[in-house]
Amino acid sequence: MTATFTPTYDVVDEAVAAGYFPPRHPVDITAVETLADRVVRLTFRDPYIAKHARPAQFVNLFTNDPLMPMPRPFGVSEVHGDEVSVIFAVVGKGTAEFAELAAGDTLQVLGPLGRPFKTKQAAHYVLVAGGLGVPPLIYAAQHLAADPATRTTAVFGYRNEHFADRYVEPFADATASIDESEGNVITLLDRLEAAGSLHADGLETVVLSCGPLPMMKAVASWTAKRGLACQLSMEQRMGCGYGTCVLCTVDTVDGRLKVCSDGPVFTREQLGWGE
Amino acid sequence: MTVETTANRINLYEPHEWKHPTKVAGVTWKNPVGTASGTFQYAAVRWFYDVSQLGAVSTKGVSPVPWEGNPSPRTAEGPASNINAVGLQNPGVDHYLVDDLPKLKEAGATVVANVAGHSDDDYAAVVAKLADSAADMLEINVSCPNVTHGGMSVGTDPVALAKLMDRLRPMTDKPMIIKLTPNVTDITVPARAAVEHGADALSMINTVLGMRIDIRTGKPIIAHVTGGVSGPAVLPIGLVAVYRTRTVLPDIPIIGIGGVDSGEKALEYLYAGANAVEVGAAALFDPVAPLRVARELDDLLDERPELAAKLAAGKTWR
Repeated sequence: MTATFTPTYDVVDEAVAAGYFPPRHPVDITAVETLADRVVRLTFRDPYIAKHARPAQFVNLFTNDPLMPMPRPFGVSEVHGDEVSVIFAVVGKGTAEFAELAAGDTLQVLGPLGRPFKTKQAAHYVLVAGGLGVPPLIYAAQHLAADPATRTTAVFGYRNEHFADRYVEPFADATASIDESEGNVITLLDRLEAAGSLHADGLETVVLSCGPLPMMKAVASWTAKRGLACQLSMEQRMGCGYGTCVLCTVDTVDGRLKVCSDGPVFTREQLGWGE
Repeated sequence: MTVETTANRINLYEPHEWKHPTKVAGVTWKNPVGTASGTFQYAAVRWFYDVSQLGAVSTKGVSPVPWEGNPSPRTAEGPASNINAVGLQNPGVDHYLVDDLPKLKEAGATVVANVAGHSDDDYAAVVAKLADSAADMLEINVSCPNVTHGGMSVGTDPVALAKLMDRLRPMTDKPMIIKLTPNVTDITVPARAAVEHGADALSMINTVLGMRIDIRTGKPIIAHVTGGVSGPAVLPIGLVAVYRTRTVLPDIPIIGIGGVDSGEKALEYLYAGANAVEVGAAALFDPVAPLRVARELDDLLDERPELAAKLAAGKTWR
């Protein structure tokens, strides 16, 4: 497959010029790297998504196989110039197809989608993530690194290989990571607290989290006990990704909400967790 | 599914003079392409295109009171398809009347209000509230496979369907479309029952009952166990439903639904005997799919003046 830059973005420019959000469109892939066993980082060129994506927002990627028409949603992990990266695990045929792509191939995308973490206030943001929940928190660190009034501490848990530390380290003020041989993110949070590193001078501590459900529930509980603000980015089997099909709901104190467009970020209070 | 080359040549955002309208039960659609209920929420779609450009929009089913729908996970992928088990989650008809409907009318859309119920009383309660509303047409959903009462249980039973029609028909003069399920041996049986008891039009098909199993756990992927299959895979199932129904009911307006994601596929439904089509699952794969189908079809009908003239006059190919 070959790709030419200008026609690729016509549809984005046309939509934006008319005041609409860009539809699904093809993009050029610039890099595909294997970070660990079945963990892949894919980078594509998309000036619109690069400019507009915020932490915890995601992009829908589409396979080129007509037997697999459903979107695959992935949180943005980094933006460099007009290039956007995602990190994903190969868990099925769709992700296997993405993993076999290479620089120069094209891919169809839609995004950025979803409501981001709320990070406008200067604070000490503790970025707590596990496994494939890590990528959106890398982007949170990158985004917050541009704000000198804010401090970030990355707290990452892995099953075994620490595949994403090198991506967050350039952005976070401090990074701690752990794998299952030693403990989990709660182990790290306890250590952070014991070392007096949880609170930075004059800044409120805000926990942003993404990861497996049991981990996020544990994080919610840990933050609730300490009265810390906590925003959690949820995952669910999704359909459209933009709020029209209502396939990806989560039960909240306000009823069943859509993970894709009401979230993916919800507060601990909205989810009714950790009380 | 890749975006076809024609899609890149059509600028969906330029003003467009629609050349080929259709008529469904006396209501003029500016083109023969609408959205299928269940895949259209104005609050989500309005960011992507001007919905008044479509022939009509069939909105998500509304019930007398808010429904929370089924637990998650609600979806799985099938070969060339989506499987959904939303269970008609919606904020209720009162919310629809003060929110979606006025906003859509203000935006200039032709609105088909889709009516959902767990019982005849539910359907009647919603129709009573929509009877004098701004909705252009009503669509009665007797075909949802994801609710345990109402929905498909009515649409698969011609006697129950006739009884429901007898109750609803006197309540409003608005054109009433009955949306039918393909999960029957012969769709012409409920189609006849609906028409003989006052339906002004039929829409078909709703989703096809299906499921997927996670071989790691040995359990169904969808929490509701079963769901409704939609997407490219169901195109032939929808086509045969329209074709057979047109054969036995030569005059009833029919809206063809199922697997439409291009102008060419819309054209297949029109040749099968439909007056119009609706685009459903394709909107999950690209938000602008309904508008793209409409634009592609508008050009394809240029080359088919006999078909275009029939549609404009409220007639059909077959």
